[in-house]
Amino acid sequence: MPALTRAAPPPPPQTRRRRRRTVVPYALVAGAVAILVLAMGYPLGWQVVTSLKEFGLEQQFGQPAEFVGLRNYAALATDGYLWTVVARSVAFCLVNAGLTLAVGIGIALLMNAVGRFPRLVLQISMLLAWAMPVVAAMTVWRWLFDWRRGVVNWLLDAAGLHGFSGHNWLERPASFFLVATIIVVWMSVPFVAFSVYAGLTQVSEEVLEAAQLDGASARQQLTGIILPMIRPVLSIVLLLQLIWDLRVFAQIKMLQDAGSTPSETNLLGTYIYQLGTGSSDFGMSSAVSIFVLVLTVALSSFYIAALLREEET
Amino acid sequence: MAVGAAATLALTACSSSTDTPEGDGTSAGAVEAADITLWLAGGDTNDDLRAYLVDTFAAENPGSTLTIEEQPWGDLDAKLTTALPDANNTPDVVEVGNTQSPTYTNVGAFLDISDMYDELGGDDLLQSFVAAGEVDGLNYTLPYYFGSRYMFVRKDVWAEAGLEMPTTLDEFNSSVKAIAAANPRGIDNFSGFFLGGQDWRNGISWIFANGGDLATKDGDEWVSTLSDPNSITGLTQLQEIYESASNAPADAKDASPWLYLNDTDEAMDADGAVTASTSLAAATIMAPGWAHWSIGDLVTGEDGKPAREWNDATFGVLVLPGVDGEPAPVFAGGSNIGISAKSEHPELAKALLRIIFSDEYQQLLGGAGLGPANQTMVSSLGDDQFAQALIASASNSKLTPAAPGWASVESSKVLEEFFSKISTGGDVTALAQEYDEKITPMLNGNAG
Repeated sequence: MPALTRAAPPPPPQTRRRRRRTVVPYALVAGAVAILVLAMGYPLGWQVVTSLKEFGLEQQFGQPAEFVGLRNYAALATDGYLWTVVARSVAFCLVNAGLTLAVGIGIALLMNAVGRFPRLVLQISMLLAWAMPVVAAMTVWRWLFDWRRGVVNWLLDAAGLHGFSGHNWLERPASFFLVATIIVVWMSVPFVAFSVYAGLTQVSEEVLEAAQLDGASARQQLTGIILPMIRPVLSIVLLLQLIWDLRVFAQIKMLQDAGSTPSETNLLGTYIYQLGTGSSDFGMSSAVSIFVLVLTVALSSFYIAALLREEET
Repeated sequence: MAVGAAATLALTACSSSTDTPEGDGTSAGAVEAADITLWLAGGDTNDDLRAYLVDTFAAENPGSTLTIEEQPWGDLDAKLTTALPDANNTPDVVEVGNTQSPTYTNVGAFLDISDMYDELGGDDLLQSFVAAGEVDGLNYTLPYYFGSRYMFVRKDVWAEAGLEMPTTLDEFNSSVKAIAAANPRGIDNFSGFFLGGQDWRNGISWIFANGGDLATKDGDEWVSTLSDPNSITGLTQLQEIYESASNAPADAKDASPWLYLNDTDEAMDADGAVTASTSLAAATIMAPGWAHWSIGDLVTGEDGKPAREWNDATFGVLVLPGVDGEPAPVFAGGSNIGISAKSEHPELAKALLRIIFSDEYQQLLGGAGLGPANQTMVSSLGDDQFAQALIASASNSKLTPAAPGWASVESSKVLEEFFSKISTGGDVTALAQEYDEKITPMLNGNAG
């Protein structure tokens, strides 16, 4: 191993090379921007406009929609229920994103540590979990947690916890969200694990070996070397998780359909759906959507800020 | 779906190439041939009925065709909201749930068909459903078929518990509690009467039976009346049933309770895939009349598939008795039907309505176990015990309030919530007042 005798490469010289101004990078980005504007611009514009209107079922059937300025937003701000849903959604999002990341990193480290065959088994099982369509997965989970015939209750009962015979998991919000968390984390761990594993393969063996010789413990290697080295991967994965878990809809909706009390288990996604499709109050539901957009931008600001900092250095 | 897409293309193609003359209804012969679409909700209209409609329509309107698309009940509201206002995509004739009808008729989604009222059956049509499709004395939707709810019982289990069939509401209430307490077969989680905690569609029968109602119209405004003393009486009886007769989960709705009445059964999802197996867990359930096809002993049908054979020794039907022993006013199930206001072929749509309200089709409906809209045809239901129970239980049945915001009340699941809280032992009077305050603004169409 010649690693120890080789000096670290000198840092790149911080000279300010004048970039040649060309249109190529802009041309390359233009395509993506055009598609974004086409696909997202119209609905977003429509949403902003609708959120400023009184728009219900009558307007949907051709009555003129009256502009009411920020009245929908004012109604939202003073609506205690919305803030309950926001608090619930943010909490759900942070808990799920955190858990997903922790479990995902754990599995990635495991994949990195074990031999080829167990790694293959891990990867295949995660791919299967990841590839399973939401609706199919939800059907299986609902079946597992069924109050009368579910495997979960049967197992608990067989283990001597007879209180769980006929226990309904979806009845109370706390256990409803426990089930929802298990499902959401289960579905998103594979993505994190694969991304982080890809990052781990970039950590050079030499550095770790050097650290070992210097007497660093496994924990110190993890926190001092591995995690900092894969930080770019971690931060983008965390950002995506936060955005996805804030907008989670299908899993919650399908669990609500299986049971539970919607008003006690609504998250932002299902609340918007209920306002729009359920109550035909499109003005209000657009206003909540815009609010969620702002919330998402606020949540991801840490990443944007980091990006900008990197640009400046 | 491909058929639907093709139909839409055909519609847009012909409407963009020529200016369709507005039919003035003077002569059916002047109507341009076209393909029209009928939306049916759920699978209640069976394949034979559909085939009859398609064939008869094609025969009576040469060159025109009828396409039938089935919409699942759960998606119907969303689909009506998006499709009906759009002339290019709207179905021409639409079946809507009787409780959804007021919401759409109040915003002008349907064509005024008052001029056809007498021709389609007039005062022979089921009047409570006619009212659900009426705004300011004009008819926008008319009854399509009615169903009704009655009790299916395990005669053998009732007998083992030493109980006779009840003849008044009070007797019913005490009998189902006694069965649950006796539990003659020692079954886990056994219910004398299986009533889901969120099952308001069956539960409101107790409000109606005690003279209460969900809402009344006070001048121009609708007011929720859950805290009316009569409603409270019914809800209190219901809470006792929940506490001591029913072991259904607090979040169960009215989906397939017969699974718990059969000795063994299998729960299926919408695609017919088996998701769970069930066994006898209830002595009594309440369900729409057509549930009897799903109740009985497991046999192999003519097509080799498993089927249910009704067995009079084991199973029985019981019309829920009211306080006076007459049939209790239960919630009437069923549908209305109307023509989309944006339909580009109103004359052909009217031709289809004439077929639907013809004596022949009405009798076919009755033959399929669906209560025909035209009350002179009710005899076509036959005279077996199911037909008798259907007619008896429908004789006194009621509809949900014809308020403009009723669809939002249903889709917000606020009643599911209210009944679920009643079932878990909340204070009835306090809950009723709390939910009256929530529901009254929704009824008048100011959601939120």
